[in-house]
Amino acid sequence: MDKTDRKYTNGEITVFWQPKKCIHATTCYRELIEVFNPRKRPWVNMDGASTEEIIRVVKLCPTQALAFKYNKDIDGDKQAEINSGPKETDAEARIMEDGPLVLKGSFVIFDIDGKELKHFKMTSLCRCGASITLPFCDGTHRKIGYTGK
Amino acid sequence: MITMQEEEITDYHQAAVRIMKDGPIMIKGTFAFKDSSGKITRGEQELYICRCGGSSTKPWCDNTHKKIGLAY
Repeated sequence: MDKTDRKYTNGEITVFWQPKKCIHATTCYRELIEVFNPRKRPWVNMDGASTEEIIRVVKLCPTQALAFKYNKDIDGDKQAEINSGPKETDAEARIMEDGPLVLKGSFVIFDIDGKELKHFKMTSLCRCGASITLPFCDGTHRKIGYTGK
Repeated sequence: MITMQEEEITDYHQAAVRIMKDGPIMIKGTFAFKDSSGKITRGEQELYICRCGGSSTKPWCDNTHKKIGLAY
Protein backbone atom coordinates (compact mmCIF):
# COMPACT_ATOMS: atom_id res chain seq x y z
CA MET A 1 0.00 0.00 0.00
CA ASP A 2 1.29 3.43 -0.95
CA LYS A 3 1.46 6.13 1.70
CA THR A 4 -0.78 8.37 -0.40
CA ASP A 5 -3.56 5.77 -0.56
CA ARG A 6 -6.75 6.54 1.34
CA LYS A 7 -9.96 4.77 2.25
CA TYR A 8 -13.36 6.13 3.11
CA THR A 9 -16.35 4.31 4.54
CA ASN A 10 -20.03 4.91 5.20
CA GLY A 11 -20.29 1.83 7.41
CA GLU A 12 -21.65 -0.25 4.57
CA ILE A 13 -18.93 -0.04 1.94
CA THR A 14 -15.35 1.22 1.88
CA VAL A 15 -14.05 3.21 -1.07
CA PHE A 16 -10.34 2.88 -1.75
CA TRP A 17 -8.44 5.75 -3.35
CA GLN A 18 -5.06 5.20 -4.97
CA PRO A 19 -4.06 8.65 -6.26
CA LYS A 20 -1.06 7.46 -8.21
CA LYS A 21 -3.36 5.53 -10.49
CA CYS A 22 -5.55 8.56 -11.21
CA ILE A 23 -5.36 9.85 -14.80
CA HIS A 24 -7.72 12.75 -14.07
CA ALA A 25 -10.42 11.55 -16.39
CA THR A 26 -12.73 13.64 -14.13
CA THR A 27 -15.48 11.02 -14.40
CA CYS A 28 -16.05 10.72 -10.65
CA TYR A 29 -16.65 14.36 -9.90
CA ARG A 30 -18.58 15.05 -13.08
CA GLU A 31 -20.90 12.21 -12.15
CA LEU A 32 -21.17 12.77 -8.42
CA ILE A 33 -19.75 16.01 -7.06
CA GLU A 34 -21.66 15.49 -3.81
CA VAL A 35 -19.32 12.62 -3.00
CA PHE A 36 -16.19 13.24 -5.08
CA ASN A 37 -15.12 16.84 -4.72
CA PRO A 38 -11.41 17.50 -5.33
CA ARG A 39 -11.72 20.97 -3.83
CA LYS A 40 -12.71 19.59 -0.42
CA ARG A 41 -10.74 17.79 2.26
CA PRO A 42 -11.33 14.98 2.63
CA TRP A 43 -12.19 14.97 -1.04
CA VAL A 44 -14.51 11.96 -0.68
CA ASN A 45 -17.70 12.49 1.33
CA MET A 46 -19.34 9.12 1.88
CA ASP A 47 -22.50 10.77 3.20
CA GLY A 48 -23.06 12.65 -0.04
CA ALA A 49 -25.04 9.94 -1.83
CA SER A 50 -26.50 6.47 -1.47
CA THR A 51 -24.27 3.42 -1.40
CA GLU A 52 -25.70 2.29 -4.75
CA GLU A 53 -24.90 5.62 -6.35
CA ILE A 54 -21.34 5.64 -4.99
CA ILE A 55 -20.77 2.11 -6.30
CA ARG A 56 -22.10 3.11 -9.71
CA VAL A 57 -19.60 5.96 -10.01
CA VAL A 58 -16.64 4.04 -8.56
CA LYS A 59 -17.21 1.44 -11.26
CA LEU A 60 -16.96 4.17 -13.92
CA CYS A 61 -13.38 5.00 -12.90
CA PRO A 62 -11.26 4.20 -15.99
CA THR A 63 -8.30 3.10 -13.85
CA GLN A 64 -8.09 1.30 -10.51
CA ALA A 65 -7.68 4.63 -8.73
CA LEU A 66 -11.13 4.21 -7.19
CA ALA A 67 -12.30 0.82 -5.94
CA PHE A 68 -14.75 -0.37 -3.33
CA LYS A 69 -15.60 -3.32 -1.13
CA TYR A 70 -18.55 -4.17 1.08
CA ASN A 71 -17.46 -3.82 4.70
CA LYS A 72 -18.94 -7.20 5.61
CA ASP A 73 -16.47 -8.77 3.19
CA ILE A 74 -13.47 -7.02 4.63
CA ASP A 75 -11.13 -8.34 7.23
CA GLY A 76 -7.64 -7.12 8.00
CA ASP A 77 -5.80 -9.43 5.65
CA LYS A 78 -8.19 -8.92 2.81
CA GLN A 79 -7.95 -5.14 3.02
CA ALA A 80 -4.28 -5.19 2.15
CA GLU A 81 -5.08 -7.43 -0.78
CA ILE A 82 -7.80 -5.18 -2.12
CA ASN A 83 -5.60 -2.17 -1.83
CA SER A 84 -2.69 -3.61 -3.71
CA GLY A 85 -4.73 -3.99 -6.90
CA PRO A 86 -2.89 -4.36 -10.22
CA LYS A 87 0.79 -3.62 -9.92
CA GLU A 88 1.64 0.03 -10.20
CA THR A 89 3.87 0.85 -13.14
CA ASP A 90 6.80 2.92 -12.05
CA ALA A 91 7.37 6.28 -13.63
CA GLU A 92 10.15 5.99 -16.19
CA ALA A 93 11.61 8.75 -18.33
CA ARG A 94 13.75 7.53 -21.17
CA ILE A 95 15.94 9.37 -23.67
CA MET A 96 15.70 7.73 -27.09
CA GLU A 97 18.93 7.97 -29.03
CA ASP A 98 18.56 10.75 -31.65
CA GLY A 99 14.87 10.82 -30.75
CA PRO A 100 12.28 11.94 -28.23
CA LEU A 101 11.91 11.79 -24.49
CA VAL A 102 9.54 8.95 -23.69
CA LEU A 103 7.52 9.05 -20.48
CA LYS A 104 6.01 5.83 -19.18
CA GLY A 105 3.84 5.31 -16.16
CA SER A 106 2.76 7.58 -13.38
CA PHE A 107 3.63 11.06 -14.64
CA VAL A 108 1.52 14.17 -14.68
CA ILE A 109 2.50 16.46 -17.58
CA PHE A 110 1.88 20.19 -17.80
CA ASP A 111 2.06 22.17 -21.04
CA ILE A 112 3.58 25.66 -21.35
CA ASP A 113 0.28 27.25 -20.30
CA GLY A 114 0.09 25.13 -17.13
CA LYS A 115 -2.69 22.95 -18.51
CA GLU A 116 -2.42 19.25 -17.90
CA LEU A 117 -1.71 17.16 -20.99
CA LYS A 118 -3.39 13.81 -21.49
CA HIS A 119 -1.03 11.04 -20.55
CA PHE A 120 -2.00 7.43 -20.45
CA LYS A 121 0.59 4.69 -20.65
CA MET A 122 3.18 6.47 -22.76
CA THR A 123 3.93 9.95 -24.04
CA SER A 124 6.73 11.00 -26.43
CA LEU A 125 7.99 14.57 -26.13
CA CYS A 126 9.99 16.30 -28.88
CA ARG A 127 13.67 16.93 -28.19
CA CYS A 128 14.74 18.19 -31.63
CA GLY A 129 12.59 21.33 -31.57
CA ALA A 130 11.18 20.79 -35.06
CA SER A 131 8.01 18.76 -34.48
CA ILE A 132 4.84 20.33 -35.85
CA THR A 133 2.86 18.82 -33.00
CA LEU A 134 4.89 20.36 -30.16
CA PRO A 135 5.35 19.52 -27.39
CA PHE A 136 4.90 16.00 -28.75
CA CYS A 137 7.24 14.09 -31.03
CA ASP A 138 5.99 13.56 -34.60
CA GLY A 139 9.05 11.85 -36.06
CA THR A 140 10.49 15.04 -37.61
CA HIS A 141 13.83 14.37 -35.85
CA ARG A 142 14.58 11.77 -38.51
CA LYS A 143 13.94 14.21 -41.36
CA ILE A 144 16.17 16.90 -39.93
CA GLY A 145 18.89 14.45 -38.91
CA TYR A 146 18.71 15.34 -35.25
CA THR A 147 21.46 13.89 -33.17
CA GLY A 148 21.21 13.45 -29.43
CA LYS A 149 24.95 13.59 -29.03
CA MET B 1 -16.04 23.33 -14.21
CA ILE B 2 -13.79 22.23 -11.41
CA THR B 3 -10.09 22.02 -12.03
CA MET B 4 -7.63 20.76 -9.49
CA GLN B 5 -4.81 23.01 -8.40
CA GLU B 6 -1.51 22.10 -9.99
CA GLU B 7 0.19 21.56 -6.64
CA GLU B 8 -2.66 19.31 -5.66
CA ILE B 9 -2.25 17.15 -8.76
CA THR B 10 1.52 17.03 -8.42
CA ASP B 11 1.05 15.86 -4.87
CA TYR B 12 -0.93 12.89 -6.09
CA HIS B 13 1.68 11.68 -8.53
CA GLN B 14 5.17 10.49 -8.02
CA ALA B 15 6.60 12.63 -10.82
CA ALA B 16 5.58 15.79 -12.63
CA VAL B 17 6.72 16.97 -16.04
CA ARG B 18 6.54 20.57 -17.11
CA ILE B 19 7.05 21.87 -20.64
CA MET B 20 8.75 25.20 -19.96
CA LYS B 21 7.81 27.99 -22.34
CA ASP B 22 10.48 28.36 -25.07
CA GLY B 23 12.70 26.23 -22.86
CA PRO B 24 13.46 22.73 -21.61
CA ILE B 25 11.34 19.91 -20.21
CA MET B 26 11.52 19.81 -16.45
CA ILE B 27 10.98 16.42 -14.79
CA LYS B 28 10.69 16.47 -11.04
CA GLY B 29 9.83 13.78 -8.53
CA THR B 30 10.59 10.13 -7.97
CA PHE B 31 11.16 8.23 -11.17
CA ALA B 32 13.65 6.14 -13.13
CA PHE B 33 15.65 7.99 -15.74
CA LYS B 34 17.22 6.04 -18.56
CA ASP B 35 19.67 7.80 -20.88
CA SER B 36 20.29 6.78 -24.50
CA SER B 37 23.10 4.44 -23.45
CA GLY B 38 20.70 2.60 -21.14
CA LYS B 39 22.21 3.91 -17.93
CA ILE B 40 19.54 4.27 -15.24
CA THR B 41 19.31 6.69 -12.33
CA ARG B 42 16.54 6.21 -9.78
CA GLY B 43 15.00 8.07 -6.89
CA GLU B 44 14.10 11.66 -6.35
CA GLN B 45 15.55 13.93 -9.02
CA GLU B 46 14.97 17.16 -10.92
CA LEU B 47 16.11 17.19 -14.54
CA TYR B 48 16.04 19.73 -17.35
CA ILE B 49 15.94 18.11 -20.78
CA CYS B 50 16.89 20.09 -23.90
CA ARG B 51 13.92 20.69 -26.18
CA CYS B 52 15.46 23.01 -28.80
CA GLY B 53 17.88 20.45 -30.22
CA GLY B 54 20.84 22.80 -29.88
CA SER B 55 22.30 22.13 -26.45
CA SER B 56 25.93 21.10 -26.32
CA THR B 57 25.31 19.14 -23.12
CA LYS B 58 22.47 16.91 -24.40
CA PRO B 59 20.27 15.53 -23.10
CA TRP B 60 20.54 18.40 -20.63
CA CYS B 61 19.51 21.98 -21.26
CA ASP B 62 22.36 24.51 -21.42
CA ASN B 63 20.20 27.53 -22.26
CA THR B 64 21.04 27.41 -25.98
CA HIS B 65 17.28 27.70 -26.66
CA LYS B 66 17.60 31.41 -25.96
CA LYS B 67 20.12 31.76 -28.81
CA ILE B 68 18.16 29.54 -31.17
CA GLY B 69 14.86 31.18 -30.34
CA LEU B 70 12.79 28.06 -29.64
CA ALA B 71 9.18 29.21 -29.84
CA TYR B 72 6.91 26.91 -27.90
